[in-house]
Amino acid sequence: MKPGAIIPSTAASLTSLTVTMAVMCYLACLAIGALILVDRAVTSWTSGLSREMTIQVRMMRGTDIVQEVEKARAITAAFPGVVSADILDESEGAKLLEPWLGTRSLEGLPVPRLIRVVSDTANPPNIPALEEALLQVKGARLDTHQKWEAELTRMARALSAVSYAILLLICVSAIAIVIFATRAVLQANRHIVDLLHLVGARDSYIARQIDGRFLRTGLLAGFIGVGLGLFTFLLLGLLGGGSESGVAAASRGLLFSTPSIAIWSYGLLFAVPGAATLICLITARVTLMRRLGVAT
Amino acid sequence: MEWGDTLVLRLENVGLRYGDGPEILRDVSFAVRTGDFYFLTGPSGAGKSSLLKLLFLALRPTRGTLRIFGEDVGSLSHSNLPTIRRRIGVVFQEFRLLDHLSTYDNVALPLRVAGKSESSYRRDVMDLLDWVGLAEKSADLPPVLSGGEKQRAAIARAVIAKPQLLLADEPTGNVDPVLAKRLLHLFLELNRLGTTMLIATHDKGLVRQAERPVLHLEQGALNLQ
Repeated sequence: MKPGAIIPSTAASLTSLTVTMAVMCYLACLAIGALILVDRAVTSWTSGLSREMTIQVRMMRGTDIVQEVEKARAITAAFPGVVSADILDESEGAKLLEPWLGTRSLEGLPVPRLIRVVSDTANPPNIPALEEALLQVKGARLDTHQKWEAELTRMARALSAVSYAILLLICVSAIAIVIFATRAVLQANRHIVDLLHLVGARDSYIARQIDGRFLRTGLLAGFIGVGLGLFTFLLLGLLGGGSESGVAAASRGLLFSTPSIAIWSYGLLFAVPGAATLICLITARVTLMRRLGVAT
Repeated sequence: MEWGDTLVLRLENVGLRYGDGPEILRDVSFAVRTGDFYFLTGPSGAGKSSLLKLLFLALRPTRGTLRIFGEDVGSLSHSNLPTIRRRIGVVFQEFRLLDHLSTYDNVALPLRVAGKSESSYRRDVMDLLDWVGLAEKSADLPPVLSGGEKQRAAIARAVIAKPQLLLADEPTGNVDPVLAKRLLHLFLELNRLGTTMLIATHDKGLVRQAERPVLHLEQGALNLQ
């Protein structure tokens, strides 16, 4: 004969706690998803930016811009640490200006010419030395994108900090909710707890009768939250169309990237049920032991 | 009287009050040795249940000294209470059976909380249920038991772990005279085997039949009769 549960699960149901914890886990998944996406986007942007530089050659009075551009290209291409230096033709340059100037002809306008420089990331060129070498070219200016990279890094750090703060707030809220629920369960079963004390039960024994329910609640809520989170990313990926950028592409990247990245993403997301279970179990146990310890 | 294995309870000038209310117990002093059998009598409201609550450690005295098994209850830490409580069996006046557990599980509760496995106590519990006439009701829940059956289940739970001290609050209050006599014999038998007994009762017939000393409590003061 299997002995009945000493603390009945019908008294003080944990359904509300399960729902609230599932919502918390869902929000945690979104915050973790945002962290992964920001981290990945920044890595991709900054590695591209670090690898590429641009040389801008402005038209100067009394110089032949074609000659100056070629001179700049030759100097750069021969510079140690530079993989390639390609002159963008005028139509490519015009294309870059389209967002501001439209498709009208740029003939007659003193549009600067650009050279795309790809550097060796393993052995990058000495930037001050390259800038000095380019002083021989009239109107040339080296743009290393460092300013943009710094801006992006700053923005990414801010977004990451916000995500971490959200995760922290979720944890604090979850702990507060579990404490409240634990007290409710104890209150609803006060007569049983008193009797258990009187027949010689230790606090740890009574706590074990209750905290198993919190363990199951944490695990269930965690998996519901992760399930909803994955469904949300899937929905964003499918409904966002086939664009190569934006939230839709990022969501697709989160779910269907290369195995090494996917394992990392899924590992982080599936840490949520583990964390929820631990929060439920530890908080409930600590609350129970503190409350039971003040009984006679 | 010397402490040692022989003295189970000792109260010296014990007083008890609830909050800022009047003193329910005043200067209660008495000692109980191993193997003693006392009745505790007195009119309703005299403080019998409060005295028993002190003795099964549900309350602590507001003054005086209470020693149980040589331990000063006033200085006993919360973590040491279970060790003392496991040596005491209690029959509560209001039974305090758990309605969601079967009669069997209710009776087995003290063994279960002591960490014993179900297979180790199953036989003992069924034998005791049989003895108190509840073998047929072992799977029933307390709400479907009569008052007398609940009383017997509560007594069975109090004695199942073979306590050294048995405290009972009106243990025959809800049973017929025949069963009351059987229960008295159970208490006398347990006492003969070494269990110290203190039974609070209004049942003068029970007291007469047992021919044991009586502690009479009236207006919070205790006298040995």
